[in-house]
Amino acid sequence: MTPAWTITSAFAAALLVLLLPARSAGFAKVIALVGSLVGMVAAAVACLARLNHPSGKAWSFDCDWIPSLGARFHLAADGLSLTLLLLTGIVAVAGVLFSWNVTHRSRAFFSFFMTIIGGVYGVFLSRDAFLLFVFYEIVILPKYMLIAIWGSTNKEYGAMKLTMYSIGASALILIGISVAYAAAGGTSFDIAHLAAASYSPALQSWAFPILFLGFAVLAGIWPFHTWAPTGHVAAPTAASMLLAGVVMKLGAFGALCVAMPLFPLGFAQWQPVIAGLAVIGIIYGALTALSQKDLKFVIGYSSVSHMGFILLGMAAATHWGLRGAVLQMISHGIIAGLLFGIAGRVVYERTHTRDLAALKEFDLWKTLPGVAVAFTLATAASMGLPGFSGFVAEISVVIGLWQAYPWLTIAVAIGIILTGAFSLRALQKTCFPTRKPTDAAAHALPPLTWPEISATSLLLAVSLAIGIYPKPWIVLIDDGLRSPLFNSILSLP
Amino acid sequence: MNYSTLFIQLLPEAVLVVTALLLLGVAVATEAKTGKPIANVTASAIAAIGVILAGFVIFNMPANLDSGSQLISMDPLARIFKAVVLGLGLLAILLPPARREIQNPGEFFALMFFALTGLLLTSGTNHLLFLFVALELASLSLYLLAGFPRTARASEASLKYFLFGGVSAAFLLFGLSLIYGFSNAATLPDLAVKLAENPTSPLAIAGLVMVVGGIGFKLAAAPFHYWAPDVYQGAPATSVALISAASKAVGMVVLVRFLLIGFSAASGSAAWGGMVAGWSLWIGVLAAVSMIFGNVLALAQTSVRRLLAYSAVANTGYLLVGVCANGTSAAGAALFYVVVYGLATLGALAVTAAVERNRGNDSPTSFAGLVHRSPLQAVALLVFLASLAGIPPLAGFAGKFAMFSAALSASTHGGEPGLTWLVGLAAIMSAISLYYYLSILKQAFVKESTEVGEESPITASHALAVGIPAAALVVLGLFPALLLDPIVTAVIDSVGK
Repeated sequence: MTPAWTITSAFAAALLVLLLPARSAGFAKVIALVGSLVGMVAAAVACLARLNHPSGKAWSFDCDWIPSLGARFHLAADGLSLTLLLLTGIVAVAGVLFSWNVTHRSRAFFSFFMTIIGGVYGVFLSRDAFLLFVFYEIVILPKYMLIAIWGSTNKEYGAMKLTMYSIGASALILIGISVAYAAAGGTSFDIAHLAAASYSPALQSWAFPILFLGFAVLAGIWPFHTWAPTGHVAAPTAASMLLAGVVMKLGAFGALCVAMPLFPLGFAQWQPVIAGLAVIGIIYGALTALSQKDLKFVIGYSSVSHMGFILLGMAAATHWGLRGAVLQMISHGIIAGLLFGIAGRVVYERTHTRDLAALKEFDLWKTLPGVAVAFTLATAASMGLPGFSGFVAEISVVIGLWQAYPWLTIAVAIGIILTGAFSLRALQKTCFPTRKPTDAAAHALPPLTWPEISATSLLLAVSLAIGIYPKPWIVLIDDGLRSPLFNSILSLP
Repeated sequence: MNYSTLFIQLLPEAVLVVTALLLLGVAVATEAKTGKPIANVTASAIAAIGVILAGFVIFNMPANLDSGSQLISMDPLARIFKAVVLGLGLLAILLPPARREIQNPGEFFALMFFALTGLLLTSGTNHLLFLFVALELASLSLYLLAGFPRTARASEASLKYFLFGGVSAAFLLFGLSLIYGFSNAATLPDLAVKLAENPTSPLAIAGLVMVVGGIGFKLAAAPFHYWAPDVYQGAPATSVALISAASKAVGMVVLVRFLLIGFSAASGSAAWGGMVAGWSLWIGVLAAVSMIFGNVLALAQTSVRRLLAYSAVANTGYLLVGVCANGTSAAGAALFYVVVYGLATLGALAVTAAVERNRGNDSPTSFAGLVHRSPLQAVALLVFLASLAGIPPLAGFAGKFAMFSAALSASTHGGEPGLTWLVGLAAIMSAISLYYYLSILKQAFVKESTEVGEESPITASHALAVGIPAAALVVLGLFPALLLDPIVTAVIDSVGK
């Protein structure tokens, strides 16, 4: 089972679902579940194989595609890609499970869902900039459709805003990649080839911000993050999980593995700016989350804050920083998926409100104790408490930051405190409201269903597993960071 | 000059002319016999056979035919684009106008064949005067095709098209005569030799500006595009398909031949910080103006046909970016993109025509709930519009990416910004265009239809006119090399650099 199974299974499931006859539309979710499980298992198997033979040659697949341009169909999986593949697989399985109750146009829903998953797998595996961009753009229309058709709260506005930000950012990426391609001789889009070429410092100083910003918009860099909260809130649960869980990681991955290695001198020049924007994002996201009334908006802004840690780790450009950035990608992918799953599906489907004040009526810790436990654990993970993945990731970023910009750690500490504040506020208002004895008794709510329980347990288990025993993940990530791509960044003064 | 070779080369055009005459004859005979005009189906069947036959002739023509004439040549570029024009023509025939739109199908298709003949001849000539004659044969037929339904809108469209076309033809002819006067050369290769001796001659530059303006009219480049919205809205879908797809493809071939062969010595440069007067700069300005004008005005349209017209202007802008770079692979990518663009626009017009027939108008809201009414058309529309917006894995994306990266490769040397300004503008404009394409797709996929009316199903040939371009766009998107590589090779062979 090669890593290519991830892409194949996702696209095959998307196509199969589309071809289902109308009377068997109920099978759509089963096919999607099987497709995403195959992807997750393939990714897990590949991760294990890599752990057993860390020094072996990484899996790759390379063939001609468009000779006149020099674009090749080149996939490869080092440890870094593999961890992100596994993340995608896990979030995909959880997303399908959390969408088990979708009945409105379910074939189209699961087809778009699996197309996004396939595109994400493709980006993480691509080693050719043209191919990477193709996979990167494949997700745009399905994202729009998922939000505009199945979304809630201002869905058409949220969908259009998110799409226009994505495509605008893609235009910047296209310019950046084309500039690198042209300046490297116009013969190949291979990322290693492009990174090995030497570009003049003058070119790097303007080409880097274009390419980096293109990717960073999708990673939610402040002040271009505004698509994220509105889009996440408008999206149906599974789409919010995908957007916050993995699609935002596409941007971070592109920034780390394409923009920075291609133009290291440009990066060195813009490094402080990126670090500054990342810190602003962390604090701004946390402060905004603190004042939200809608539970999904709280999680949406918390994503902006958490994504700031990824950008900060990359801006630190030390080994610890980059490792922390990738760990945070994985950790946030799991935790954001979990939070959106609980808020958007488990709670909302029963209470039909996400308003923090209105949720008080339901006394969730009494009526749905399981949800209260899961949400408490998820909040703890999101706050970065030890024992959860968030802690491992954030401590790595902070260590990396200490080596590069010691002064900024103070700002980060403030950000971490604010994260605790907004997380606890949301937790208290949602699950443990203060109620007077005179208040009407809480309504009884339907019990949890098996897809909800299994998806929640899966995500919680992964977050705990990383938090308690991060070593295999770190080994895999370090394997990826040893790639020659990162030499130029890690050797910066 | 070898006349027997010349005759073989002219066979496809001969087939078309014979079919046109046959159509007219059959139409007259049927009308004399039955008192009613020839049936739409009969006429389009004869037309389809004629086009397929002509295409067959082209595919079976021996390679390396050289008649020694610049008037009519069958170089690789001409070979590919004659086939492309016939293919697009066939798709237009599959999309026959409604009975109420044309009173006389025999005449309609005969005129269409004269237009196709003109387009075929235009795509294979390096001779200035013959270029003009062939182009006018095509144009005069297209003016009439635009005004075929005797409605006020169609007449307005036809008249506007004719008046603007007439003026632009005058400019083209005047420009050609200035060039001839300066160089005493009637063919593009001779012109190139003469121009190399004196590249900055004001006479040649004046001629060049006028010629580019004349061709710009055919391409609907801003500011020569004023005819486009009215023609797209008023003319029958078949005629618009021919004008937007086939005529534009040939316009691009003429432009590439003219600039890269004839005026290769006066290219100038549109590179940032190193602009030099010449056609590259002039084309770069036209490209920027077309992209901005087309995209911004398309945002405000409430008629899908007019929206497609402004999208045509915007797409001409992207095409001109490829030409502006003055490189064979960039020009080849632009020629690939014009084919892809033609397929997408033709398909989108076919879907629009069907919606119009059912809903009575072409406002975006008429598309509401299309996915439930006709899933095939809705999915095809998604393919066409996503391809126009440049979303992978569709051919429009491959075309744009190839064109933009080739334009940068041709213009940047050693870290110079080169054409990055123009390519950047194109990339951003292309991103903006997704907004108006999505506004149609939103109606088709997201909105539910409010009207519950009788739906007349589309005919089989209409389904083909929608299905074939959609399938082609997917295949060419996944494997662009199938068409991109032959075109790039043909440009290198035919234009030579």
